[in-house]
Amino acid sequence: MLVCSTRLSSPYFLLPLTILLLAPSYGTTAEKAPKPDGRPIVPGFERFYNDAMADRLQGGRLLWGELSCASCHEAESGKQATPSNKQAPILDNVGVRVRHSFFRKFLRDPQAFKPGTTMPDLLAGNDAAERERQVEALTHFLASTGTLKRVRADFVAAAQGKQLYQQAGCVACHGTRDGEGNPDKVLSTSVPLGDLRAKYSIASLATFLENPHTVRPSGRMPAILNNKEAIQVGNYLLRGQALAKAAANVRYSYYEGSWENLPDFEKLKPLAEGKADGFDLKAARRGNNFALRFEGYLHLDRAGEYRFHLTSDDGSKVFVDGKQVVVNDGIHPPSLVSSKVRLDKGTHKLTTGIFNGGGGVELLVEIQGPGLPKQPVAPLLTLNPEGNPKPATQPVDPAEDDDFAIQPELATKGRELFGSLGCASCHQLKIGGNPIVSTRQSPAMGKLRAEGGCVSEKPAKGVPNYSLSATQRGALTAAVSSPAPAAKASAGEMIQRNLTALNCYACHQRDKRGGVEPAVDALFATTQPEMGEEGRVPPALDGVGAKLRLDYLKHIFNQGAHDRPYMLTRMPRFGEGNVPGLAEAFVEADKGKLEPVAAVKFDEPASRVKSAARKMCGGNSLGCIKCHTFAGHKAEGVQGIDMLLMPKRLQHDWFYRYLLDPQKLRPGTRMPTAWTNGQTVLEDVLGGSTAKQIESIWVYLQADGKAALPAGLKKNSIPLVADKEAIIYRNFIEGAGARAIGVGYPEKANLAFDANELRLALVWQGEFIDAARHWTDRGVGFEPPLGEGILRLPTGPAFAELAKDDELWPTNPAEESVGKFRGYRTSTDGRPTFRYAYRGFEIEDFPNAVSGKHSATIRRTLSLRAEKSPSNLWFRAAVADKIEDLGDKKGYRINGESTMRFGEAQAKIRKSGGKMELLVPIQFRDGKARLTQEIEW
Amino acid sequence: MNIKRIVFVFFCSLVFSPALTAADKAPVEDDYYKILRYDIPKGEVMEVGALEFMPDGRLAAGTRRGEIWMIQNALDPDPKKAKFSRYARGLHEVLGLAAKGDWLYVTQRCDLSRIQDSNGDGKADVFEVVNDGWGISGDYHEYAFGSRFDKNGDLWVVLCLTGSFTSNSKFRGWAVRIAPDGKLIPTCSGIRSPGGIAANADGEMFYTDNQGPWNGTCALKHLVPGGFMGHPDSFKWYHLAKNLGSAPEKPHTNSRFMTEAKRIPQYVPPAILFPYGKMGQSASGIECDLSGGKFGPFAKQMFVADQTHSTVMRVALEKVNGHYQGACFPFRQGFGSGNVPIRFAPDGSLIVGGTNRGWGSRGPRPFALERLTWTGKAPFEIHEMHAKPDGFELTFTHPVDAKSAGDPKSYAMKTYTYIYRAEYGSPEVDPTTPTIDRVEVASDHKSVRLVVSKLHEGNIHELSAGGVRSNDGLPLLHKEAYYTLNYIPAK
Repeated sequence: MLVCSTRLSSPYFLLPLTILLLAPSYGTTAEKAPKPDGRPIVPGFERFYNDAMADRLQGGRLLWGELSCASCHEAESGKQATPSNKQAPILDNVGVRVRHSFFRKFLRDPQAFKPGTTMPDLLAGNDAAERERQVEALTHFLASTGTLKRVRADFVAAAQGKQLYQQAGCVACHGTRDGEGNPDKVLSTSVPLGDLRAKYSIASLATFLENPHTVRPSGRMPAILNNKEAIQVGNYLLRGQALAKAAANVRYSYYEGSWENLPDFEKLKPLAEGKADGFDLKAARRGNNFALRFEGYLHLDRAGEYRFHLTSDDGSKVFVDGKQVVVNDGIHPPSLVSSKVRLDKGTHKLTTGIFNGGGGVELLVEIQGPGLPKQPVAPLLTLNPEGNPKPATQPVDPAEDDDFAIQPELATKGRELFGSLGCASCHQLKIGGNPIVSTRQSPAMGKLRAEGGCVSEKPAKGVPNYSLSATQRGALTAAVSSPAPAAKASAGEMIQRNLTALNCYACHQRDKRGGVEPAVDALFATTQPEMGEEGRVPPALDGVGAKLRLDYLKHIFNQGAHDRPYMLTRMPRFGEGNVPGLAEAFVEADKGKLEPVAAVKFDEPASRVKSAARKMCGGNSLGCIKCHTFAGHKAEGVQGIDMLLMPKRLQHDWFYRYLLDPQKLRPGTRMPTAWTNGQTVLEDVLGGSTAKQIESIWVYLQADGKAALPAGLKKNSIPLVADKEAIIYRNFIEGAGARAIGVGYPEKANLAFDANELRLALVWQGEFIDAARHWTDRGVGFEPPLGEGILRLPTGPAFAELAKDDELWPTNPAEESVGKFRGYRTSTDGRPTFRYAYRGFEIEDFPNAVSGKHSATIRRTLSLRAEKSPSNLWFRAAVADKIEDLGDKKGYRINGESTMRFGEAQAKIRKSGGKMELLVPIQFRDGKARLTQEIEW
Repeated sequence: MNIKRIVFVFFCSLVFSPALTAADKAPVEDDYYKILRYDIPKGEVMEVGALEFMPDGRLAAGTRRGEIWMIQNALDPDPKKAKFSRYARGLHEVLGLAAKGDWLYVTQRCDLSRIQDSNGDGKADVFEVVNDGWGISGDYHEYAFGSRFDKNGDLWVVLCLTGSFTSNSKFRGWAVRIAPDGKLIPTCSGIRSPGGIAANADGEMFYTDNQGPWNGTCALKHLVPGGFMGHPDSFKWYHLAKNLGSAPEKPHTNSRFMTEAKRIPQYVPPAILFPYGKMGQSASGIECDLSGGKFGPFAKQMFVADQTHSTVMRVALEKVNGHYQGACFPFRQGFGSGNVPIRFAPDGSLIVGGTNRGWGSRGPRPFALERLTWTGKAPFEIHEMHAKPDGFELTFTHPVDAKSAGDPKSYAMKTYTYIYRAEYGSPEVDPTTPTIDRVEVASDHKSVRLVVSKLHEGNIHELSAGGVRSNDGLPLLHKEAYYTLNYIPAK
């Protein structure tokens, strides 16, 4: 049996065979789909009816609607074939959105050019010459309806578009595509996209994606993307599209050399010059030590103040009419500099220069001004002051030529054919506001015989050829022989029919039918992996009619939804008009599935009811807000559905039953209950009544989005204060590592010791530290000191033996620590003495805060012990740009911001690795040494 | 008065009254085990992460904020008599405490330290690192849970992964032992996100791991030295564990626990699976009842806390084909916060600590310290559940009523398991519904044999014994039992 053998190749082959056999209606399909062998692909048919065992009648009725049969064959009065008839694409102004070269290629043989298309071949029976004439006429006519819109390709957008395509839900119906936008994993149920590059320009595809229902009104292609996203996905799907007009719009000059700032290009001779499409850094011939200059012309409609934003790695500048406007010079990682300039209306010469020393390279110039929202400036430029030159009259591949001269007489003939062949039976195409009328005559449905015509294996001349498979012909024959009765379908039938026709089953399961197919399952992703399946896979629709409010169901059909902030796949917009009565059918089918909830009466005043609920939802009670967002505020861990959305979405009784027993309504959910077996854990809230407690939360959330925020939503600060004793805080401290030991002293000086690197890492004045980051929620991230005057002490080992005076100071070994941290002892007032060992000697390190004249200082005593005294041992006290010896035991001034003294010891200042170092020699006597370090800042 | 009527009344009271009493007021957990709550000193936040009793009888409580509190009079019948004093602060998320001699051993994120109050002022002043041979990167998920000392004097530490999926710091995802000389012995790989660690009555070490990647549901797992516990991202540290040789073969995703156990010799399948949502959602602290009966009729059984459900569950293990497996049972719910550590007191009561910071719990309090005491009255419960080649044997805490206990209709059974996979969690899969063909009640009425067709090796067998009555007509306090049937015994 085919179903079984293909299933065995899926990753779920380990499921016991019994389950597979019991549940064929899940309708999963194989990862590697068979080539569609030129039949029209209707996903619902492929998934549920493309099998000799399947219900031919239901499959046929589905095809009748999806192949738009009723557009030609009227239903007999009193009978209906199918409730939904998929309308063919609207072709008004089709020349604006489809490449003119496409018409010819597609019409010659629709099924060959776009395998799986539902468009029949109306010319199939004609002889070759006649066909070619008709194709040509139709092509000229369709091309005459408009000029194709184009925009420049945007590679950054394409990368974002790839992510959207994978995550927003496109893959559920269309299968996966690779980095270049080409088909990758295509399922047998995937709606084929054909050669998109042959059909669309980026601009026209984006327009379609943003609002597909304008062209395809029946909602089979739902809307899922906003304007910006549609442009991104358009760029991704058409990546690498070769447009006949390769349009250079700037001139570039290329230079090589090693610079620390942008060179003066006037003094350099370029290695290469040429034309480029925007500021294309690919003009560089190597990755490092190069510079590029771009020149183009900017045309401004208005005078006014313009702001330029220059992002680059490394340095760059922008000039307008030879005047420097923005400078982002020097060697640096990607960084942004903005500045503004007044510009007159008219044409300006814009020059941009960039150089790269090493590492990454990046350049983005954006403009913002009167009538110009912030956008990249490169696409606005032209090669010459008067504009871009006309495209070179180099020979264009006729098959790719979208700009062929339209012959009016051919177009007129094509327009006639559009009506007479029957194109107009399915496709609306208005000229001057009036649709072309089809003059094609077809028998009414009731007059159809169950053979011949469109369902022939080889349809006769003039008869539409859909390239139907034998299974499809059989199914359609069954449907024609047995038109559906006029009586209204049951709610269950109606749901199944709609979910099949609109391919809702690609994401949702209901009554064990449909659901995400294994081959694309892994692409359904979440921002909260710890939520498991419920965090990433669209919910099953069992019982949805008892869960969601009728108006909200309709709202979802009309607007789509993205209520689950953690789920990357979105519910797209189908248009309620395309599923008339579906919301009501859900409600009817699921009526009585939920045990009704008795009305709850409160004796308490409404204000007390709401405040009790508010308290329960808060962080110190049931903690709903730990996992649910609330009025847009983020939760601590999992970001569950916003609580204020609940009364808008949910039916009251479902909410009530769900809170009582979440597992029953959503098996496997992470939602816990506070009312196990109906018993509350809060005996002192609303008299300990479970019913009142749940009802009160419903009432509280109703407040039309104005519910007072529950406690615990916003973090308070928890400043730690050393009062009479020193206070220790071990945690992730910014600048002192994951194993930091912070010490706050009553004298209001503080420090952080890095117990991994065995070094004093930070000292600072004033307030110690705010523990709120680590002591609320899960405690994510590194916390910086709370006070001011943060002094960062050298990283790397603090002690080293140097054989020679100019030997470089060692760095920490890659994996291991330089020594061992042994712990600490505290004085009676909590001041720690750290104990650690370097190879060969043990250290006791007692840093202490001492009140000073203006601010506290740190006085540190280091006692060292060694079995065998090390020679040439140094302590590195500072690494800085500038270190001065103040002489006369006044100490050493570091970067002009702090002063260090070392008692009697004579420190040494040396230059090393482009910096200054302050080194103190350690002299052992009888295996012991002592060092004091005073830091004043 | 009519003599006949007197006789009738007498008859009624003799025969029906226990049943009537039982029906009038079904027994509840609180009739047998009481929860006492300590008052935390005002203004203090005590998110309890570890518990230990000091040799002098004080209760030590370590907290997530890095403090250690000493509690005197913790076992006074009146919890208000307990006296709290802060012993240490500034430690890094204390999730393990073990007393030995003058020292208190503290497992914190970055190391195992031992601390001491050397001058007797009631505050620790010596903090000595015993071992710090594992890494921390600054990721909040990198917790370290410490055991108490095992029979060899080793202390075990289970190290949570960096986040849910990966091991980015040394030995994250491992169980390690710290020997008395302070050396670290790499012991087991495959840990994901532990919630507690303790030894059973045989001295064998167990830990709880939580639902997530490679963990279809929460589980109690036996730490067999050299074993692999299920999550393969820890394999990257085998080069530092020369004592264990090379890494095991990586498990296949979307498989089953027992399928992989047959393929990978080092893999130790979970001894007990806690069905998700039924038996908690975040398994945490573990204790074995070694009180010799002071805690009721469950001597030598294991107790496992749950953070989300604020419960303590009960586990009865047995060895089949040389492997630990067994059943878990509901035991006590209604604790104040999210239970993490549990610890038996010398008097046989159970101390329970809780926090719900970052992960919500049924218990509504942000933190709590509680004590569970036995009233001295034994509840009517399934005492143990043993696997047999053709079914199960149940023992009970009270003699059963032979009629109800002998009726197959008093029981219902279903089986299922979870997918073993790289993805987070799993739905219940592979369901079967065995039939209970026959029930044999032992002559002493203390046990029954269920003859079942047919058992499903590798699946959890969920039993509901709702129809069983005790000799006194009582229903079971908890009618559910969940047996993780990794192996069916040959005899």
